[in-house]
Amino acid sequence: MNILFILLFGDIMIVKDWCSYCGECAGICPKNIIEVKEYSLVFDEKECSRCEICVKACPLNALEME
Amino acid sequence: MIETDVLVIGAGPAGSSAAKHAAKGGAKVILIDKKSEIGSPKRCAEGISNNGLENLGITPNPKYIAKKIDGCRLVSPSGTDVWLTTEEIELPETGYTLERKVFDKFMAMDAAREGAEIKIKTLAKSLKKEGDSVILTCEHMGESFEIKAKIIIAADGPESHVSRWAGLKNVTKAKNMESGIQFEMCGVEFERENIIEFYFGSCAPGGYAWIFPKDDDIANVGLAVIAEDTDKSAYEHLKEFVANCPATQNAQAVELNVGGDPVGGLVKDLYGDNILVCGDAAGQVNPLTGGGIISGMNGGMYAGQVAARSIEEGDYSSKFLKEYEEIVDKELGKEMHKYLKVKEYALSLPDDELDSIADAFQDMDFEKISTTEIVKNLVKVSPKALLKLGKLI
Repeated sequence: MNILFILLFGDIMIVKDWCSYCGECAGICPKNIIEVKEYSLVFDEKECSRCEICVKACPLNALEME
Repeated sequence: MIETDVLVIGAGPAGSSAAKHAAKGGAKVILIDKKSEIGSPKRCAEGISNNGLENLGITPNPKYIAKKIDGCRLVSPSGTDVWLTTEEIELPETGYTLERKVFDKFMAMDAAREGAEIKIKTLAKSLKKEGDSVILTCEHMGESFEIKAKIIIAADGPESHVSRWAGLKNVTKAKNMESGIQFEMCGVEFERENIIEFYFGSCAPGGYAWIFPKDDDIANVGLAVIAEDTDKSAYEHLKEFVANCPATQNAQAVELNVGGDPVGGLVKDLYGDNILVCGDAAGQVNPLTGGGIISGMNGGMYAGQVAARSIEEGDYSSKFLKEYEEIVDKELGKEMHKYLKVKEYALSLPDDELDSIADAFQDMDFEKISTTEIVKNLVKVSPKALLKLGKLI
Protein backbone atom coordinates (compact mmCIF):
# COMPACT_ATOMS: atom_id res chain seq x y z
CA MET A 1 0.00 0.00 0.00
CA ASN A 2 2.76 2.41 0.94
CA ILE A 3 4.66 1.73 -2.26
CA LEU A 4 1.51 2.16 -4.32
CA PHE A 5 0.78 5.40 -2.49
CA ILE A 6 4.25 6.75 -3.16
CA LEU A 7 4.04 5.71 -6.81
CA LEU A 8 0.68 7.36 -7.24
CA PHE A 9 1.02 10.43 -5.10
CA GLY A 10 4.45 10.48 -3.53
CA ASP A 11 6.64 13.55 -3.55
CA ILE A 12 4.48 15.68 -5.79
CA MET A 13 5.88 18.72 -4.06
CA ILE A 14 9.56 19.39 -3.60
CA VAL A 15 10.39 22.02 -1.01
CA LYS A 16 13.80 23.59 -1.59
CA ASP A 17 16.02 24.10 1.39
CA TRP A 18 15.84 27.90 1.05
CA CYS A 19 12.13 27.92 1.90
CA SER A 20 11.48 30.46 4.66
CA TYR A 21 8.16 28.96 5.82
CA CYS A 22 6.35 32.24 5.26
CA GLY A 23 3.08 30.45 4.53
CA GLU A 24 2.04 32.35 1.42
CA CYS A 25 1.59 29.03 -0.43
CA ALA A 26 -0.70 27.80 2.34
CA GLY A 27 -2.80 30.95 2.17
CA ILE A 28 -3.58 30.66 -1.53
CA CYS A 29 -3.86 26.87 -1.72
CA PRO A 30 -7.49 26.42 -2.81
CA LYS A 31 -7.60 23.07 -1.04
CA ASN A 32 -6.10 24.31 2.24
CA ILE A 33 -3.75 21.32 2.40
CA ILE A 34 -0.39 22.95 3.11
CA GLU A 35 0.61 22.90 6.77
CA VAL A 36 3.33 25.36 7.71
CA LYS A 37 5.26 24.37 10.78
CA GLU A 38 7.97 26.60 12.16
CA TYR A 39 10.67 24.93 10.09
CA SER A 40 8.89 22.57 7.72
CA LEU A 41 6.12 22.41 5.15
CA VAL A 42 3.76 19.45 5.06
CA PHE A 43 1.58 18.79 2.00
CA ASP A 44 -1.44 16.53 2.14
CA GLU A 45 -0.40 15.25 -1.26
CA LYS A 46 -3.26 12.85 -1.79
CA GLU A 47 -5.57 15.89 -1.83
CA CYS A 48 -3.33 17.94 -4.14
CA SER A 49 -4.96 18.86 -7.45
CA ARG A 50 -1.64 19.94 -9.03
CA CYS A 51 -2.92 23.44 -9.80
CA GLU A 52 0.59 24.83 -9.11
CA ILE A 53 -0.78 28.09 -7.71
CA CYS A 54 1.59 27.66 -4.76
CA VAL A 55 4.59 27.10 -7.03
CA LYS A 56 3.92 30.33 -8.93
CA ALA A 57 3.27 32.46 -5.85
CA CYS A 58 6.37 31.52 -3.83
CA PRO A 59 8.43 34.72 -3.40
CA LEU A 60 11.63 32.65 -3.31
CA ASN A 61 10.95 30.06 -6.03
CA ALA A 62 11.31 27.43 -3.33
CA LEU A 63 8.60 25.04 -4.53
CA GLU A 64 8.76 22.61 -7.40
CA MET A 65 6.22 20.12 -8.64
CA GLU A 66 7.40 16.72 -9.84
CA MET B 1 -8.93 18.19 27.96
CA ILE B 2 -8.11 21.87 28.35
CA GLU B 3 -11.23 24.03 28.37
CA THR B 4 -11.57 27.76 27.86
CA ASP B 5 -14.09 30.40 26.91
CA VAL B 6 -12.11 31.97 24.07
CA LEU B 7 -9.24 30.44 22.12
CA VAL B 8 -7.21 32.79 19.93
CA ILE B 9 -5.07 31.24 17.23
CA GLY B 10 -2.07 33.33 16.25
CA ALA B 11 -0.22 35.85 18.43
CA GLY B 12 0.45 38.53 15.85
CA PRO B 13 -0.81 42.03 16.69
CA ALA B 14 -4.40 41.13 15.71
CA GLY B 15 -4.53 37.93 17.78
CA SER B 16 -2.90 39.54 20.80
CA SER B 17 -5.32 42.44 20.58
CA ALA B 18 -8.25 40.00 20.40
CA ALA B 19 -6.93 38.04 23.38
CA LYS B 20 -6.34 41.20 25.40
CA HIS B 21 -9.82 42.58 24.84
CA ALA B 22 -11.59 39.25 25.34
CA ALA B 23 -9.74 38.84 28.67
CA LYS B 24 -10.48 42.44 29.59
CA GLY B 25 -14.17 41.70 28.99
CA GLY B 26 -14.03 38.92 31.59
CA ALA B 27 -13.58 35.82 29.40
CA LYS B 28 -11.12 33.02 30.12
CA VAL B 29 -8.69 33.23 27.21
CA ILE B 30 -5.97 31.03 25.72
CA LEU B 31 -3.72 32.47 23.01
CA ILE B 32 -1.63 30.02 20.98
CA ASP B 33 1.15 30.65 18.47
CA LYS B 34 3.09 28.09 16.47
CA LYS B 35 6.41 29.93 16.69
CA SER B 36 9.07 29.72 19.36
CA GLU B 37 9.40 33.48 19.38
CA ILE B 38 6.38 35.72 18.98
CA GLY B 39 7.13 38.41 16.37
CA SER B 40 10.01 36.60 14.72
CA PRO B 41 10.75 36.37 11.87
CA LYS B 42 9.07 39.59 10.87
CA ARG B 43 7.00 39.56 7.69
CA CYS B 44 6.39 43.25 7.46
CA ALA B 45 7.79 46.64 6.39
CA GLU B 46 6.99 47.83 9.93
CA GLY B 47 5.41 51.20 9.13
CA ILE B 48 2.38 52.51 11.02
CA SER B 49 0.63 55.86 10.90
CA ASN B 50 0.50 58.21 13.80
CA ASN B 51 -2.30 57.85 16.36
CA GLY B 52 -3.00 54.28 15.30
CA LEU B 53 -1.74 52.89 18.60
CA GLU B 54 -3.10 55.76 20.69
CA ASN B 55 -6.57 55.16 19.24
CA LEU B 56 -6.28 51.58 20.48
CA GLY B 57 -5.46 52.88 23.94
CA ILE B 58 -1.78 51.94 23.67
CA THR B 59 0.94 54.40 24.62
CA PRO B 60 3.80 53.82 22.18
CA ASN B 61 6.85 52.42 23.98
CA PRO B 62 10.28 53.64 22.77
CA LYS B 63 11.53 50.04 23.05
CA TYR B 64 9.64 49.10 19.88
CA ILE B 65 9.73 52.39 17.99
CA ALA B 66 12.59 52.28 15.48
CA LYS B 67 12.17 55.71 13.91
CA LYS B 68 9.75 58.59 13.77
CA ILE B 69 8.60 59.35 10.22
CA ASP B 70 7.95 62.89 9.02
CA GLY B 71 6.62 62.35 5.53
CA CYS B 72 6.82 60.38 2.37
CA ARG B 73 8.34 60.44 -1.09
CA LEU B 74 6.58 58.96 -4.11
CA VAL B 75 8.91 57.98 -6.95
CA SER B 76 7.72 57.35 -10.51
CA PRO B 77 9.37 54.82 -12.85
CA SER B 78 11.56 57.50 -14.50
CA GLY B 79 12.72 58.73 -11.08
CA THR B 80 10.54 61.84 -10.88
CA ASP B 81 9.71 62.26 -7.23
CA VAL B 82 6.96 63.87 -5.23
CA TRP B 83 7.93 64.87 -1.70
CA LEU B 84 5.25 65.13 0.94
CA THR B 85 7.19 66.25 3.98
CA THR B 86 7.41 69.03 6.56
CA GLU B 87 9.13 71.16 3.92
CA GLU B 88 6.09 71.05 1.66
CA ILE B 89 3.26 70.64 4.11
CA GLU B 90 2.51 72.56 7.24
CA LEU B 91 1.10 69.69 9.26
CA PRO B 92 2.14 66.36 7.81
CA GLU B 93 0.62 63.23 9.22
CA THR B 94 3.53 61.51 10.85
CA GLY B 95 4.09 57.90 11.78
CA TYR B 96 6.65 55.40 13.00
CA THR B 97 8.60 52.45 11.87
CA LEU B 98 8.40 49.67 14.42
CA GLU B 99 10.69 46.93 15.61
CA ARG B 100 8.12 44.17 15.06
CA LYS B 101 10.15 41.54 16.86
CA VAL B 102 9.82 43.63 20.02
CA PHE B 103 6.40 45.11 19.30
CA ASP B 104 4.61 41.79 18.76
CA LYS B 105 5.97 40.43 22.02
CA PHE B 106 4.90 43.52 23.90
CA MET B 107 1.37 43.18 22.47
CA ALA B 108 1.24 39.53 23.57
CA MET B 109 2.49 40.58 27.01
CA ASP B 110 -0.34 43.11 27.21
CA ALA B 111 -2.76 40.24 26.55
CA ALA B 112 -1.06 38.14 29.22
CA ARG B 113 -1.30 40.97 31.74
CA GLU B 114 -5.06 41.13 31.11
CA GLY B 115 -5.20 37.46 32.05
CA ALA B 116 -4.78 35.57 28.78
CA GLU B 117 -2.83 32.32 28.98
CA ILE B 118 -0.21 32.08 26.21
CA LYS B 119 1.03 28.85 24.67
CA ILE B 120 3.97 29.26 22.30
CA LYS B 121 5.31 26.69 19.86
CA THR B 122 1.77 25.33 19.68
CA LEU B 123 0.47 24.53 16.22
CA ALA B 124 -3.21 24.32 15.31
CA LYS B 125 -3.80 21.04 13.46
CA SER B 126 -7.54 20.61 12.99
CA LEU B 127 -10.91 21.77 14.19
CA LYS B 128 -14.17 20.03 15.00
CA LYS B 129 -17.52 21.08 16.39
CA GLU B 130 -18.91 19.37 19.49
CA GLY B 131 -22.28 20.45 20.84
CA ASP B 132 -22.13 24.15 21.58
CA SER B 133 -18.31 24.23 21.54
CA VAL B 134 -15.43 23.68 19.17
CA ILE B 135 -12.38 21.51 19.76
CA LEU B 136 -9.04 22.44 18.31
CA THR B 137 -6.40 19.75 18.04
CA CYS B 138 -2.96 21.22 18.69
CA GLU B 139 0.61 20.02 18.58
CA HIS B 140 3.38 21.06 20.95
CA MET B 141 6.85 19.52 20.69
CA GLY B 142 5.50 16.42 19.00
CA GLU B 143 2.71 15.96 21.51
CA SER B 144 -0.90 16.18 20.37
CA PHE B 145 -3.63 17.61 22.61
CA GLU B 146 -7.05 19.22 22.42
CA ILE B 147 -8.45 22.55 23.54
CA LYS B 148 -12.20 22.92 23.91
CA ALA B 149 -13.48 26.47 23.48
CA LYS B 150 -16.81 28.23 23.28
CA ILE B 151 -15.45 30.68 20.75
CA ILE B 152 -12.33 30.58 18.63
CA ILE B 153 -10.82 33.71 17.14
CA ALA B 154 -8.88 32.88 13.99
CA ALA B 155 -5.91 35.24 13.73
CA ASP B 156 -3.66 32.81 11.90
CA GLY B 157 -2.41 35.28 9.33
CA PRO B 158 -2.34 35.01 5.55
CA GLU B 159 -2.36 31.20 5.80
CA SER B 160 -5.87 31.41 7.20
CA HIS B 161 -6.37 27.70 7.79
CA VAL B 162 -8.68 27.92 10.76
CA SER B 163 -11.62 29.80 9.25
CA ARG B 164 -11.58 27.43 6.28
CA TRP B 165 -11.53 24.42 8.62
CA ALA B 166 -14.64 25.92 10.19
CA GLY B 167 -16.31 25.85 6.80
CA LEU B 168 -16.17 29.60 6.14
CA LYS B 169 -15.72 30.50 2.49
CA ASN B 170 -12.52 32.46 2.83
CA VAL B 171 -10.24 31.70 -0.08
CA THR B 172 -7.62 34.27 -1.03
CA LYS B 173 -7.30 34.21 -4.79
CA ALA B 174 -3.79 34.33 -6.23
CA LYS B 175 -4.52 37.72 -7.79
CA ASN B 176 -5.23 39.14 -4.35
CA MET B 177 -2.17 37.79 -2.56
CA GLU B 178 0.89 40.00 -2.77
CA SER B 179 4.21 38.16 -2.66
CA GLY B 180 6.24 40.35 -0.36
CA ILE B 181 9.99 40.30 0.03
CA GLN B 182 12.36 42.57 1.88
CA PHE B 183 15.92 43.11 2.98
CA GLU B 184 16.77 44.93 6.15
CA MET B 185 19.82 46.88 5.00
CA CYS B 186 22.52 49.13 6.38
CA GLY B 187 24.44 51.70 4.37
CA VAL B 188 21.24 53.07 2.84
CA GLU B 189 21.81 56.61 1.55
CA PHE B 190 18.68 58.69 2.10
CA GLU B 191 18.20 61.98 0.26
CA ARG B 192 16.28 63.27 3.26
CA GLU B 193 16.00 61.78 6.73
CA ASN B 194 12.90 60.23 8.32
CA ILE B 195 11.00 59.84 5.06
CA ILE B 196 9.36 56.65 3.85
CA GLU B 197 9.77 56.13 0.12
CA PHE B 198 7.45 54.40 -2.36
CA TYR B 199 8.53 53.37 -5.86
CA PHE B 200 5.86 52.63 -8.46
CA GLY B 201 5.67 50.93 -11.82
CA SER B 202 7.27 47.94 -13.42
CA CYS B 203 9.88 47.57 -10.65
CA ALA B 204 7.09 45.76 -8.75
CA PRO B 205 4.25 44.52 -11.00
CA GLY B 206 0.98 44.46 -9.10
CA GLY B 207 2.46 46.23 -6.09
CA TYR B 208 5.18 48.74 -5.26
CA ALA B 209 8.66 48.92 -3.79
CA TRP B 210 9.45 50.68 -0.51
CA ILE B 211 12.24 52.01 1.64
CA PHE B 212 11.21 52.44 5.26
CA PRO B 213 13.99 53.93 7.42
CA LYS B 214 14.72 52.35 10.80
CA ASP B 215 17.83 54.32 11.76
CA ASP B 216 20.40 56.76 10.29
CA ASP B 217 21.50 54.38 7.50
CA ILE B 218 19.25 51.37 8.22
CA ALA B 219 16.03 50.62 6.35
CA ASN B 220 13.59 47.94 5.34
CA VAL B 221 13.98 47.78 1.56
CA GLY B 222 11.34 45.64 -0.05
CA LEU B 223 8.65 45.16 -2.60
CA ALA B 224 5.50 43.22 -3.25
CA VAL B 225 4.34 41.75 -6.54
CA ILE B 226 1.34 39.80 -7.75
CA ALA B 227 2.85 36.54 -8.99
CA GLU B 228 0.59 36.25 -12.00
CA ASP B 229 1.59 39.76 -13.18
CA THR B 230 5.25 38.84 -13.61
CA ASP B 231 7.47 36.00 -14.84
CA LYS B 232 10.14 36.76 -12.29
CA SER B 233 10.11 35.80 -8.62
CA ALA B 234 9.69 38.51 -6.02
CA TYR B 235 13.29 37.88 -5.00
CA GLU B 236 14.58 38.57 -8.53
CA HIS B 237 12.61 41.82 -8.58
CA LEU B 238 14.10 42.83 -5.24
CA LYS B 239 17.66 42.16 -6.35
CA GLU B 240 17.09 44.30 -9.45
CA PHE B 241 15.51 47.08 -7.43
CA VAL B 242 18.36 47.18 -4.92
CA ALA B 243 20.94 47.22 -7.71
CA ASN B 244 19.20 50.08 -9.56
CA CYS B 245 17.95 52.31 -6.75
CA PRO B 246 20.44 55.12 -5.94
CA ALA B 247 19.70 54.85 -2.21
CA THR B 248 20.72 51.19 -1.99
CA GLN B 249 23.72 51.00 -4.35
CA ASN B 250 26.11 50.74 -1.41
CA ALA B 251 23.78 49.07 1.06
CA GLN B 252 24.25 45.62 2.59
CA ALA B 253 21.48 43.24 3.58
CA VAL B 254 21.52 41.81 7.08
CA GLU B 255 18.13 40.12 6.99
CA LEU B 256 15.74 38.66 4.41
CA ASN B 257 11.99 38.68 5.03
CA VAL B 258 9.27 37.09 2.95
CA GLY B 259 5.54 36.66 3.20
CA GLY B 260 2.15 36.90 1.59
CA ASP B 261 -0.08 39.92 2.05
CA PRO B 262 -3.80 39.56 1.31
CA VAL B 263 -4.82 42.76 -0.44
CA GLY B 264 -8.24 41.82 -1.83
CA GLY B 265 -10.24 43.45 0.95
CA LEU B 266 -12.23 41.83 3.75
CA VAL B 267 -12.91 38.10 3.42
CA LYS B 268 -16.46 36.96 2.73
CA ASP B 269 -17.14 35.33 6.09
CA LEU B 270 -15.87 37.17 9.14
CA TYR B 271 -17.84 35.00 11.57
CA GLY B 272 -19.79 31.81 11.99
CA ASP B 273 -21.08 29.68 14.85
CA ASN B 274 -18.38 29.78 17.59
CA ILE B 275 -15.87 31.61 15.38
CA LEU B 276 -14.61 35.11 14.58
CA VAL B 277 -11.86 35.92 12.09
CA CYS B 278 -9.48 38.90 12.39
CA GLY B 279 -6.21 40.35 11.11
CA ASP B 280 -4.61 39.18 7.87
CA ALA B 281 -6.74 36.02 8.06
CA ALA B 282 -9.78 38.28 7.68
CA GLY B 283 -8.23 40.48 4.99
CA GLN B 284 -8.10 43.42 7.42
CA VAL B 285 -5.37 45.01 5.34
CA ASN B 286 -5.40 48.32 3.46
CA PRO B 287 -5.63 47.01 -0.12
CA LEU B 288 -3.72 50.00 -1.48
CA THR B 289 -0.75 50.13 0.89
CA GLY B 290 -0.79 46.54 2.12
CA GLY B 291 -0.55 47.91 5.66
CA GLY B 292 -2.42 45.87 8.23
CA ILE B 293 -1.00 46.32 11.72
CA ILE B 294 -3.45 48.89 13.04
CA SER B 295 -6.47 47.66 11.05
CA GLY B 296 -5.75 44.10 12.20
CA MET B 297 -5.42 45.24 15.81
CA ASN B 298 -8.70 47.12 15.56
CA GLY B 299 -10.30 44.03 14.05
CA GLY B 300 -8.83 42.00 16.90
CA MET B 301 -10.15 44.43 19.48
CA TYR B 302 -13.69 44.27 18.05
CA ALA B 303 -13.48 40.46 17.87
CA GLY B 304 -12.27 40.24 21.48
CA GLN B 305 -14.99 42.57 22.71
CA VAL B 306 -17.78 40.77 20.86
CA ALA B 307 -16.42 37.40 22.05
CA ALA B 308 -16.44 38.59 25.67
CA ARG B 309 -20.04 39.78 25.36
CA SER B 310 -20.99 36.50 23.73
CA ILE B 311 -19.48 34.55 26.65
CA GLU B 312 -21.28 36.78 29.12
CA GLU B 313 -24.59 36.19 27.37
CA GLY B 314 -23.95 32.46 26.90
CA ASP B 315 -24.76 32.74 23.19
CA TYR B 316 -22.01 31.69 20.76
CA SER B 317 -24.21 31.44 17.69
CA SER B 318 -23.45 33.14 14.40
CA LYS B 319 -26.58 35.19 15.01
CA PHE B 320 -25.02 36.75 18.10
CA LEU B 321 -21.54 37.04 16.59
CA LYS B 322 -22.87 38.88 13.53
CA GLU B 323 -22.42 42.07 15.54
CA TYR B 324 -18.70 41.73 14.86
CA GLU B 325 -19.21 41.94 11.11
CA GLU B 326 -21.41 45.00 11.50
CA ILE B 327 -18.73 46.78 13.53
CA VAL B 328 -15.94 45.79 11.12
CA ASP B 329 -17.94 46.90 8.08
CA LYS B 330 -18.64 50.24 9.69
CA GLU B 331 -15.19 50.90 11.10
CA LEU B 332 -12.93 49.33 8.45
CA GLY B 333 -15.02 48.15 5.51
CA LYS B 334 -15.94 51.47 3.88
CA GLU B 335 -12.39 52.80 3.89
CA MET B 336 -11.06 49.52 2.57
CA HIS B 337 -13.53 49.53 -0.27
CA LYS B 338 -12.34 53.00 -1.26
CA TYR B 339 -8.69 51.98 -1.16
CA LEU B 340 -9.47 48.90 -3.24
CA LYS B 341 -10.85 51.13 -6.01
CA VAL B 342 -7.81 53.42 -5.89
CA LYS B 343 -5.51 50.42 -6.05
CA GLU B 344 -7.28 48.95 -9.06
CA TYR B 345 -6.91 52.27 -10.84
CA ALA B 346 -3.27 52.81 -9.82
CA LEU B 347 -2.27 49.33 -10.98
CA SER B 348 -3.89 49.91 -14.38
CA LEU B 349 -1.41 52.70 -15.13
CA PRO B 350 1.60 51.97 -17.35
CA ASP B 351 5.00 53.46 -16.48
CA ASP B 352 4.66 56.49 -18.82
CA GLU B 353 1.34 57.53 -17.29
CA LEU B 354 2.77 57.22 -13.79
CA ASP B 355 5.62 59.47 -14.94
CA SER B 356 3.28 62.12 -16.32
CA ILE B 357 1.24 62.09 -13.11
CA ALA B 358 4.44 62.56 -11.12
CA ASP B 359 5.38 65.46 -13.42
CA ALA B 360 1.97 67.08 -12.94
CA PHE B 361 2.24 66.59 -9.16
CA GLN B 362 5.37 68.77 -9.11
CA ASP B 363 3.19 71.89 -9.28
CA MET B 364 0.43 70.72 -6.98
CA ASP B 365 -0.06 71.85 -3.42
CA PHE B 366 -0.73 69.10 -0.92
CA GLU B 367 -2.42 70.25 2.26
CA LYS B 368 -1.80 67.04 4.15
CA ILE B 369 -0.44 63.55 3.67
CA SER B 370 -3.20 61.07 3.16
CA THR B 371 -4.41 58.73 0.49
CA THR B 372 -7.54 60.85 0.07
CA GLU B 373 -5.44 63.97 -0.50
CA ILE B 374 -3.35 62.18 -3.12
CA VAL B 375 -6.49 60.95 -4.87
CA LYS B 376 -7.94 64.47 -4.70
CA ASN B 377 -4.92 65.82 -6.56
CA LEU B 378 -4.83 62.83 -8.88
CA VAL B 379 -8.28 63.59 -10.26
CA LYS B 380 -7.19 67.22 -10.78
CA VAL B 381 -4.31 66.21 -13.06
CA SER B 382 -5.84 63.21 -14.80
CA PRO B 383 -9.26 63.24 -16.50
CA LYS B 384 -9.12 59.43 -16.59
CA ALA B 385 -8.64 59.33 -12.83
CA LEU B 386 -11.54 61.75 -12.40
CA LEU B 387 -13.73 59.36 -14.34
CA LYS B 388 -12.67 56.32 -12.31
CA LEU B 389 -12.21 57.81 -8.86
CA GLY B 390 -14.22 61.03 -8.85
CA LYS B 391 -17.04 59.40 -6.91
CA LEU B 392 -14.77 58.42 -4.05
CA ILE B 393 -13.95 61.94 -2.90
